[in-house]
Amino acid sequence: MKNEKKKNEKKRSPLRWLPFDFVRITAAPGLLWFRPKIIYENENAKKKIRGGALLISNHIGLFDPMYLMMAIWYRRHRFICKKELTEHRLGFWLRLFRCIPIDKDDMSLAALRRVTDALKDGELVSMFPEGQVSTQSESPAGFKSGMVLMSIQGGVPIIPAYIKPRKHFYSRLVVALGEPFDVTARYGARPKFSQLDEAAALLYEKDLLLAQLASRERN
Amino acid sequence: MKKEEIREKLLDILRSASDDESVVDVCTDDSVLQTDLGLSSVNMLYTVIAIEETFNIRFEDVTVSSFRTFGDVVSYVEKKLS
Repeated sequence: MKNEKKKNEKKRSPLRWLPFDFVRITAAPGLLWFRPKIIYENENAKKKIRGGALLISNHIGLFDPMYLMMAIWYRRHRFICKKELTEHRLGFWLRLFRCIPIDKDDMSLAALRRVTDALKDGELVSMFPEGQVSTQSESPAGFKSGMVLMSIQGGVPIIPAYIKPRKHFYSRLVVALGEPFDVTARYGARPKFSQLDEAAALLYEKDLLLAQLASRERN
Repeated sequence: MKKEEIREKLLDILRSASDDESVVDVCTDDSVLQTDLGLSSVNMLYTVIAIEETFNIRFEDVTVSSFRTFGDVVSYVEKKLS
């Protein structure tokens, strides 16, 4: 019990975001230069994200987390990463930036709880539900339904985003943002198994729509 | 709580979440969760959460591979309740 209390205090330490904020402030001039062009699905998507939310995006490269941070610059992000990444030297940095590791092949309840606790605490958790980097085409691979479970348990909406692959390294980045998708409003607090997959498929379709919107933009 | 009662409650949880109740109706302790009941890893975690809420227990650090058969889940819940 005491250990849990200590752990919670550590988790809520005001310094917990220090590394994240330090990088954000020192990198601000660079981020301003490379700032993405944001396009919105509709008026609802233009509203600023407040409180807990799950941001999902296609995954086209290693810099995607940075692109999402630039697109939603006014929020601190917690990224979900694969567990294997935390087993190397990179793990130190990922922990410092409060990433949440998840074992894709054998997901644990503890990992799910870490994500839902962050969402319930009002944090913005960002993830790539394809579970892999898809560089082959502009269309994302299918989405896994784990994000839907996280959203239900965290009681937060899912915000779809699409990062348009750049033709040249100097091209301006384009990020499309969709309107928040509330799983419980659509299926209730206890949806059926098939509805979890249905929600994941709907969000995938939404990402394809965002891809179409983004493709109209020149970069 | 008797093992039979636990089994019935677990089947109710599966029935309420599953689209094909006939699969649940033929479920035995030896039914493999992933192949016989067709549960994906996400479905399994979803079921575990529903079990926690129904029985008011907390599963320790379990992963998707912690339970292979329906009987494994029944035994785990029984152990937790005793």
